[in-house]
Amino acid sequence: MSKTILLLLSFVPLYVYGQKRTPVLINLSFFNEATAIPFTQAFSTPIHPGLQIGTEFNLKSKPSARLFQTANLNYFYHHRLNHGISLYSELGYEQRLQFGPAFSALFGLGYLHTFATAEEFIFQDGQYLNKNDRGNARLLASLAFDVGFYVKKDQSNSPKIFLRYQSWLEYPYSPGFIPLMTHTNLHLGTKIFLTKKNLK
Amino acid sequence: MKIIPTLGLLMLTLFSCQKGEVISPNNYTCNFNFENSSQSHPRRSKYQAQLDDMTQHGGVVGVSMVVQDEDGLWLGTSGKADLYNNIDLQPCHITRVGSTVKMYTATLILKLQEEGKLNLDQKIAEHLSGDAIKRIKNAEKATIRQLLQHSSGIYNYIQSAQFQTASINNLIKEWHAEDLLHYAYDKPAYFEPDADIRYSNTNYILLGLLIEKIEGKALYQVFEEKIFQPLQLKQTLFAGKNPVPSNIIRGYIDLYSNLQVIESTYYSGWDYYTADGGLISNPYDMTVFFKALMLGKIITPASLQTMLSWKTPKEQDPEFYPIQYGLGIFRTETPRGVVYFHSGDAIGYYANMFYFPEDGTTVVYAVNSNYGKIDHAVSTKNAIEKILLATKK
Repeated sequence: MSKTILLLLSFVPLYVYGQKRTPVLINLSFFNEATAIPFTQAFSTPIHPGLQIGTEFNLKSKPSARLFQTANLNYFYHHRLNHGISLYSELGYEQRLQFGPAFSALFGLGYLHTFATAEEFIFQDGQYLNKNDRGNARLLASLAFDVGFYVKKDQSNSPKIFLRYQSWLEYPYSPGFIPLMTHTNLHLGTKIFLTKKNLK
Repeated sequence: MKIIPTLGLLMLTLFSCQKGEVISPNNYTCNFNFENSSQSHPRRSKYQAQLDDMTQHGGVVGVSMVVQDEDGLWLGTSGKADLYNNIDLQPCHITRVGSTVKMYTATLILKLQEEGKLNLDQKIAEHLSGDAIKRIKNAEKATIRQLLQHSSGIYNYIQSAQFQTASINNLIKEWHAEDLLHYAYDKPAYFEPDADIRYSNTNYILLGLLIEKIEGKALYQVFEEKIFQPLQLKQTLFAGKNPVPSNIIRGYIDLYSNLQVIESTYYSGWDYYTADGGLISNPYDMTVFFKALMLGKIITPASLQTMLSWKTPKEQDPEFYPIQYGLGIFRTETPRGVVYFHSGDAIGYYANMFYFPEDGTTVVYAVNSNYGKIDHAVSTKNAIEKILLATKK
């Protein structure tokens, strides 16, 4: 399980180092995950910490608006239930105001793999055995809205900080019991451009 | 640029699996003395085969059952009380028995009526006030009898998707009555009081508040004084007194319906402190209670007849036998005969108690695993029918 994450993570620096001339855009955010009905609450406790790293590229771009695509690697830890690691992509639209603020909406689809936080016992040959958890495969669909601020309002490659409310569906969840689970993530993140200089 | 490897290490640190809790076998030791015919009961092999089938083919982690019939008292178990520590399940072990407590709650209310402290046809609002009454639709109009019989029309808080996701979000939260009732506030009632029947846990939370108001003490104390102690139910307690006793058997859930279970012992049952759940017991003590109730040893025969006054809901669960609702008790007809019963669910636990009035047989079983594929062996119509037919002479 840990090896899988290490392998996935290893792609990120390789990709970044591979782009020596063009600045590479990185979205990095910390978030609080919750099982919750979307849009009923902004923040919930206990905190289930999460971390997301990704990149994005423009499909269409004007000074005040753009259509873009993201690619994200996301991890969360839901206390006493499961860990989740997902790879997903979003189609996003951003409206940027002249004096720095920006508003985005993003729709995403992807793959989620969850692992129980507790030990799993697997039923084999009429008894339960303590075996390694191979996790569970899931589909996810997300809808997010964020408000952000471009630090250098005149530059297209300005760093941006953002607060994002993301609701997402996990399917299947618990077949025959809860077929579909709804989640919310509240992200606090930044978009930064990495150049050769700051990659060293 | 060291941030990415640093974040990777942080994730790996978080990504550790929680090992099971080491519990000494001595912790599960219990003294258990009573008249036991298990070794000589003529149908002991048949009963044991049924339990073994549940654990060896149905994926049930552990099952304990008591059959009390004309040939005596048989107790048996199959499977494990604790997988991590490899502890075999014993008949004396205590487990969560969820909503079966509603039968105890109804008994207690009838007992309070016998003591002249309330009348079933009084409105609950004559005793309770505040948001529990004002913000729950029908709570101002419903009588105690309607709450007991699930004919109040009051919304069942468990049906709230917000409650369900909130309870999963905080699996070890200790929910109290007010927290749970909050999810029934301002929700439309199912129907006008007495117009139909629909199961609602909210009814029994209100009845628990009523008991505490009338007796002026915690729910679990009233249960102890009026039911557990007089019947000498030594293996029975309310979770409100001790939410996770050290000797309670471990619970397991098949959350992903693939017979890969995880332990759920410390997951909150959300009804530890309320009269709609939260009972901890074992099949032996439950048999003692049910038998005593049916023989008129706890409440008077007249009160028992009130409890056994049946109403039929307009809609039935198509996947179960048609059932009739008494006060904290159900009636249905099975291939094994007419039966009075109540089941109970908790996260990782399930129990069912049956009494056959035609021959006086009592059957109680409890398991420490549920959800997913395991439910097919313990709580579906087919599973129950199989268990009950195995107890037929």
